[in-house]
Amino acid sequence: MNVLSDAWGWLTTASNWHGSDGIPTRFLEHFEYSVEAVLIGALIAFPLGLLTGHTKRGGLVVTSLANIARALPTLGLVVLLVVVIGVKFRAVMIPLVALTVPPILLNTYEGVRNVDPRLTDAAQGMGLRPWQVLWRAEVPAAMPLILTGFQFAAVNAVANTAIAAYSSFGGLGRYIIDGLATTDYGMVAGGAILIVVAAILNLVFFAVLRRVLISPGLQSRERASA
Amino acid sequence: MISFQQVGKTYPDGTVAVAATDLTADSGRITVLVGPSGSGKTTLLRMVNRMIDPTSGSILIDGVDVKSKPAPELRRGIGYVIQNAGLFPHRTVLANIMTVPRLLGWSKERAREKSMELLLTVGLEAEHAQRYPYQLSGGQQQRVGVARALVADPPVLLMDEPFSAVDPVVRKDLQTELLRLQSELEKTILFVTHDIDEAILLGDKVAVLNTGGVLEQFDSPSELLAKPKNEFVEGFLGVDRGVRRLSFFSSGAVPLRPEPVVAIDTPAQEVLARRSAQPWLLVVDTERKPVGWLLADHVPADGDLGKVAAGDLVSYGHTFTVEAESLRAALDSAVLSPSSRAVGVDAHGAVVGVASVEELVPAIRAAQDGSSPESSR
Amino acid sequence: MNLFPHIPSYLGTYGSLIQQQLTMALSSVLFGLIVAVPLALLCVRYPRIYPPVVATLTVIYSLPSIALFVLLVPSTGLTQTTVIIPLAFYSLAALVPNIVDGVRGIPEDVRLAAVAMGYTGARRLVSVDLPLAVPPIMAGLRVATVGNISMVSVGTVIGVGAFGALFTAAAQLNRSDLAVTGIICIVALALICDLLLVITQRLLTPWNQRRSR
Repeated sequence: MNVLSDAWGWLTTASNWHGSDGIPTRFLEHFEYSVEAVLIGALIAFPLGLLTGHTKRGGLVVTSLANIARALPTLGLVVLLVVVIGVKFRAVMIPLVALTVPPILLNTYEGVRNVDPRLTDAAQGMGLRPWQVLWRAEVPAAMPLILTGFQFAAVNAVANTAIAAYSSFGGLGRYIIDGLATTDYGMVAGGAILIVVAAILNLVFFAVLRRVLISPGLQSRERASA
Repeated sequence: MISFQQVGKTYPDGTVAVAATDLTADSGRITVLVGPSGSGKTTLLRMVNRMIDPTSGSILIDGVDVKSKPAPELRRGIGYVIQNAGLFPHRTVLANIMTVPRLLGWSKERAREKSMELLLTVGLEAEHAQRYPYQLSGGQQQRVGVARALVADPPVLLMDEPFSAVDPVVRKDLQTELLRLQSELEKTILFVTHDIDEAILLGDKVAVLNTGGVLEQFDSPSELLAKPKNEFVEGFLGVDRGVRRLSFFSSGAVPLRPEPVVAIDTPAQEVLARRSAQPWLLVVDTERKPVGWLLADHVPADGDLGKVAAGDLVSYGHTFTVEAESLRAALDSAVLSPSSRAVGVDAHGAVVGVASVEELVPAIRAAQDGSSPESSR
Repeated sequence: MNLFPHIPSYLGTYGSLIQQQLTMALSSVLFGLIVAVPLALLCVRYPRIYPPVVATLTVIYSLPSIALFVLLVPSTGLTQTTVIIPLAFYSLAALVPNIVDGVRGIPEDVRLAAVAMGYTGARRLVSVDLPLAVPPIMAGLRVATVGNISMVSVGTVIGVGAFGALFTAAAQLNRSDLAVTGIICIVALALICDLLLVITQRLLTPWNQRRSR
């Protein structure tokens, strides 16, 4: 059994590129779930991160939450929700969001909290209101870390969307699960390669985003952090 | 003795950190390298223990080229103290001090014993031994740094701006402590600073370096203050070098007059007689300790000093100890006194006599004209 | 609902599941650490190789476990090894930047002092550099350990998931209690290991004034 030739054979089979279980459809599904998970996660986590970071309060809660979330097995959550509420959109999205919230929350909190106090002092000294200090000084300065948080959230979303296919519908993970069920290893390997491609595209997207969103004045200092 | 022979350092990009320099740091003395940033003073220092290698010339310690030994071995025989002490945060104070002895292969017991001894020598307590550096103040950390450098009893000590990061009060303590230690240990110390006052206070000899590692002048502090060789050195010394130089001259030459001094129990007749001759009287107690200045007009008509109103006695500012303290201290005492008179006391604090600013001038004049100070610190 | 229901005997016992879960998770962290330390030290020594190394590790970290597991099956079969290999790479990705930051973060004056007192390369590494890098290394170990314990369960897709097997059974038998038990056991194992690491760190670094969070 040769992984690459099996996968290549499956990937180059024209019929796999059409229809409701075709590669473009699955790819878009995967993309859609991931993006939704990150956006919903951001809606919850970003304001909370700004609030805790700006007030420098609640750090213990934020860090403990992130630690517990890291320990949560996605697969178990998906199975549990599917068993309890059935195969519904929520059954996938709740576990996914549970894993996109912590990195965004943690990095936004750490980023804003650790902004050089001289910078915020200067901003206040110039007469900026609290929300202006946050928006014009703290957020841009914290942007490298915030983006890292979003990147981790997206990485989690892409990876866990694949896992979520185990017990529900859609996304590229389906090929692995269905392929394993029908012992079609070409489909399994092809699906896995597509997931790898999706993960790499995700990283490329964030690399570009960094260029655009981070002030050139901060680029050289930027360092990835988990 | 550390001798620099035509030592230079040029970086590959052409930057000259140190121009070919000749310099000798005498054994048992403190030699200070002072200069603005970029003057190569730290580079010179670090070339001694080969943290930096010169691109030309050679450095000898007691006649032996530093290159004749492997660098780590050489370094273990040279004490090194830096700004912020550079203590190992993961080791206790005692373990920090034990570092070099352990590297030298001493037994644990001997290293521990000697380290405890040094801990006390630098003015710390035995109870500090098991603390971690973060539990000490900046000044205490620096003391540990000095102990760590001295524990293996190296003949040579390199100090790179060791007191720059502590506050002025603590710095003063550490400087005094270093002078005290040096008077006992007599190490060959090379000391780098950017602070000319520190250089003058600590140095037996001071090397003034200019940008680009150019040695402008190498002299004793007093000589430096008296005869700066060029404008750079003069500018670096600052505006009050004349006054500062007075600290190298003894106050023994100050003409002190006992006549204006009256004890609280001096007979009234005597007091009245003195009053007519002096504009100010210094009142002292029965042990001749100063109490305060009294304007002649405020002396009670009957000459009874017991009747002087407390408000009429003016503070005498501060005194200077005759001989032990310098002309600068005497001048300062006069300038700060409301009567413009300096109060000289003996070692027990008893008043010897007083001298007005005008009366100090001949002594000051003589000091400035004299080619060398009559006494060193 | 019984939190610890009787589990179908074909899945094994609680004890055997705990053992499997920890074997896979901890051995992968250990392998990651063994490779991460020399790799990180190389990156410190030759700063030029650090950016490509970090980029590679970031890519590896972003690759979903489920994909890596199934891609490895033809080489290593339906075995624990198949699960351990990708998880070891994730650990590597979490550890290397932490170790590099840790060693680089040693204050300049401490480094200078070490050199000036005559430490030689290897001895300095063992007695100064690595001890000082313990806090960031432990932070990396915590992230890797907790993440791996959780991720082992995905291995059930290829039949070696330890507690993950409870999720498969839950889906097949439609038993939510098995899923809940699996989640609780995994989270508990992860948090207990995390706590042990925190305690270890406190014991290893009594000198560290910043308490670990």
